Amino acid sequence: MTGMVQGGWEYVIIVYVATWLTLGSYFVSLILRGRGK
Amino acid sequence: MKWEYAVGLLGLALLIAGHGMGLFMAPPEAMMGDVGRILYAHVPTAWIALLTYVIAFITAVGALWTGRIAWDAAVESTVEVGLVLNTLLMFQGAMWAKPTWGVFWDWDPRLTTTAVMAVSFLGVLILRSLITQPPKRLMASAVATIVASVNVPIVYKSVQWWNSLHQPMSSPETVDSTMVLPLRVAAFGMLFIGSYFLVARWRIALARLEREQDAPDLPETPEAIHLEASP
Repeated sequence: MTGMVQGGWEYVIIVYVATWLTLGSYFVSLILRGRGK
Repeated sequence: MKWEYAVGLLGLALLIAGHGMGLFMAPPEAMMGDVGRILYAHVPTAWIALLTYVIAFITAVGALWTGRIAWDAAVESTVEVGLVLNTLLMFQGAMWAKPTWGVFWDWDPRLTTTAVMAVSFLGVLILRSLITQPPKRLMASAVATIVASVNVPIVYKSVQWWNSLHQPMSSPETVDSTMVLPLRVAAFGMLFIGSYFLVARWRIALARLEREQDAPDLPETPEAIHLEASP
């Protein structure tokens, strides 16, 4: 297991938070735009 | 309840399950350690982004072929959803690149072609917003979508065609069996969420285009009135 990247959880957390924020905010934008259609 | 909500909820449940398994149950990747867990977010986003652009190509051909606004609305929907996923994909990739490559970005073939893909589909949306005449907008955006779509298979094959920092394409055949289940579950989750997005966005676009089509023509611009100064 030599050479394995150590740590890096902060990048993992950033990716998952960004993913859910993006999907969530796009969902909200669709709901809002759908109401006004 | 519209059927797409059920699809979206199923996608939500699957994506939560897939991400949960990837974060807390799957083993660390042999070389990348825990950073390798980004796989379960990044790869499904990439697959569904590319799939959405393939659908965009099909809808653009349909729009050109039929001239119908339902297809035009589908072009608008697929290009926008594809661009949202494309942008997310690039951010996820940058966050994965930093701890493994040492940089957030490199002008590597996969990354460069993906950036070109994002810019070209953004161009389609800008083009749509600039053209006010519906038939012209339909034709121009469909042609632009088809042109932008040429890059999609190039992005997919770029890691095979050129020397790339980016790892080869991931699939259930190329990752360890312990990683297949979370990857597969997350991919189906993203597929269903993406499908919900596409249908919801299509309904919005179609309603707007139908309103535009039904709107009465503006009256002729009246002749300019010349006022003459009285003596």
